[in-house]
Amino acid sequence: MNGTVLSLESVSKVYPGVVALDDFSIAFRPGEVHALLGENGAGKSTLIKVIAGAIAPDAGHILIDGRRHARLSPHMARALGIEVIYQEFNLMPSLSAAENISFGERTGRLVSQRAMERKAAALFGEFEVDLDPKTPVRDLSASQQQIVEIARAVSRNAKVLIMDEPTAPLSIAEVEHLFKLIRRFKERGTLVIFISHRIDELFAISDRVTVMRDGRFVSTLETAKTTRPELIGLMVGRELKETYPERGRKPGGTVLELRGVTGNGDRDISFDLGKGEILGVAGLVGAGRTELAKVIIGAARLESGEILLDGRRVSIRSPRDALRHGIGLIPENRKEEGCFLDMDITWNISFASLRRISKGPLVGRGEEKALAARFRDLMQIKAPNLGQKVKLLSGGNQQKVVLSKTLAAESRVLIFDEPTRGIDVGARQDIYKLMDELTRQGSSIIMISSDMEELLGMSDRIVVIAEGRLAGTLEREEFSQQAVLELASGGTYKETAV
Amino acid sequence: MKLLKRYAIILVLLGLIALFSVLSPYFFTQQNLTDIFLQQSYVIIAAVGLSFVMISGGMDLSIGYLISTVGVSTAALNKWMGVPLPLSLALGIAMGVALGAFNGYASVKLKVHTLIVTLGTMTIFQGLSYIISRQSVILNLPPAYRFFGQGYLFGFLPFSMVLMAACVAIGSFILNFTWFGRQVYGIGSNEETARLSGVNVKAVRILVFAICGFFVALAAIVLFGRSGSASSSTGPGVEFTAMTAAVLGGISFKGGEGKMWGLVTGVLILGVLSNGMQLVGLNTYVQYIVRGFVLLLAVGFDLLQKEGLAKSVLRASAAKAA
Repeated sequence: MNGTVLSLESVSKVYPGVVALDDFSIAFRPGEVHALLGENGAGKSTLIKVIAGAIAPDAGHILIDGRRHARLSPHMARALGIEVIYQEFNLMPSLSAAENISFGERTGRLVSQRAMERKAAALFGEFEVDLDPKTPVRDLSASQQQIVEIARAVSRNAKVLIMDEPTAPLSIAEVEHLFKLIRRFKERGTLVIFISHRIDELFAISDRVTVMRDGRFVSTLETAKTTRPELIGLMVGRELKETYPERGRKPGGTVLELRGVTGNGDRDISFDLGKGEILGVAGLVGAGRTELAKVIIGAARLESGEILLDGRRVSIRSPRDALRHGIGLIPENRKEEGCFLDMDITWNISFASLRRISKGPLVGRGEEKALAARFRDLMQIKAPNLGQKVKLLSGGNQQKVVLSKTLAAESRVLIFDEPTRGIDVGARQDIYKLMDELTRQGSSIIMISSDMEELLGMSDRIVVIAEGRLAGTLEREEFSQQAVLELASGGTYKETAV
Repeated sequence: MKLLKRYAIILVLLGLIALFSVLSPYFFTQQNLTDIFLQQSYVIIAAVGLSFVMISGGMDLSIGYLISTVGVSTAALNKWMGVPLPLSLALGIAMGVALGAFNGYASVKLKVHTLIVTLGTMTIFQGLSYIISRQSVILNLPPAYRFFGQGYLFGFLPFSMVLMAACVAIGSFILNFTWFGRQVYGIGSNEETARLSGVNVKAVRILVFAICGFFVALAAIVLFGRSGSASSSTGPGVEFTAMTAAVLGGISFKGGEGKMWGLVTGVLILGVLSNGMQLVGLNTYVQYIVRGFVLLLAVGFDLLQKEGLAKSVLRASAAKAA
């Protein structure tokens, strides 16, 4: 094939019980941004791992620069110029940015600290980011860590750069910057393989899109010649009519009110939340949205200002107090803060309401089982049984377990922090429907999100936070990507871009 | 097959018993087997306490010197200060609870890992113990005290074994059937999730250490009652035996998992091993080496078993999905 830098021929990979890749062929061109699209379990990760040499295919070949390989090792893949930036960054937290970039290089000489720093500084200069090469990686934000990963890949002269959901931890402005970098690699002739669940991003950055389903190749399309409904249709194998539930009812009276809330880096934030309302909270990553959520639920100290619930001032000093008042958080980091991965579904769901289902000190086993079963049906949690460990569930089902746990504790004000991050399209729909259903039944939702579509599609109102302050409130009629972006970037666009 | 994996540790114990029964005619006698239980009863009681801390994701290195401190304190109160025995023992237990709670309080306040905190308090307790005992041995503890370590109920049931069984039962009950037990597992499994789910993590931590102190104080009374005299050098070392037993029994260092029966089995394996090797006539230093290897093998096996289990579950669910 002409102009092909990397291609796969009839690659198959079978895991016990699952065909992860089924006779899969694809050809990538140099200098293109090629997006991979598919629901979770479609085989994207397996595909990446085959190219990166992390796993060996059971059948088929990998062609690189005209040479056929039955399999690659990670070392070979790297030598051939293939670099992967995984969702979970692969950096050493205690080492500096410069040390991470040069890590593993064999220069044959002693390591020169200064040379490493010079090199890192040069790369950061080229990327137009203001980052001190001496900073330990653990002190960097997610987007800065990503820059370090990219710099490392570039310093190794990557010919193929694979990025697995690179925009997931980034804010809107940071995504723009990332795209600028990607376009620059493209100009140099680097092949960029890009994976994202956010379809609008694919339209912004990719030249071609390959849709995968159940480990099979579905289609490769020129991005310019396709449409969002077409892509979604190919992905799920059917046309999805509506992505977001119909909103637009008037919320009832005020349930929660923030007056001049200050703490955890946020200053003087005031807004109110109506009964049955979904209030979107927009802002750049690091603007102080998650921090605000932590203040509301008492996980961080409220330095000044007050929080009113049903018109009465409440004192919330710990997440326990918050739950007692019916305020629950569904955290951004599901695995670290949302669930107990090593425990089973029932155990997780009942955890926040143990006292309620207990008789004296004893956990009521019958009540517990009934509770878990009720929420499994309500949330449509897909698992062989309720004794399944949560770590073996998909992201969407894990999110449903976390949500069940919070709802079981009889919360009526729910704070969702990035409710659908890393969740595939099908499960997303479920979550959206649930949120809508909950508000219809009288719960109120604060939804922190970096997903523009989700914000605009789900919210009844949007408040925008910028640099720890309330930048503005948008009513549904005023909703637009531009409006949110302008408020979020509040004139300090450049600085916060990194 | 699953059952086999789950109870492999019991098979190891049975295997060792069978092995030593073949190797030595003195091993499989009622007298010897009872002796093993008696020798290990205080270790098991202390380990019950330690398991609370370990399941919550912590570690307690101070229990050896806590035993020593509580033991000499009860003896000093009774023999030197003339405090009645029941009150001396009650004060000893209160002391165990208080010093345990101090461990918990210090780790909550200092926000450092409990391993470091108890490394510090271990040394503090050591000093405390030697000051209380004035570096001497308090001989001839009263018969009522010795009863805890040597006495028999109804003429045939060793009291220390009954106490041990009660401790295991109570510990197991709290951990498995109460909401407090759930919170202990929850903190060990994922502290931040537990906190955001409304658990008062600090209070649970302090309580867990106080409970540990309670059981350790009971262990001290059994151990000192058994030896009949009190010295500050009695007790230290138990922390490592209990820790080894806990790991053998499947209580993870990371917290959040483990069962009481596993712990008891772990202690018994160590007990059978040292008793059996003694009877067979193995050199003390060779015994150390064997013990070390047993621990490593157990940990390695545990790891294999977990990976295997995870894989088989994945396979099963994948098969269902397909």
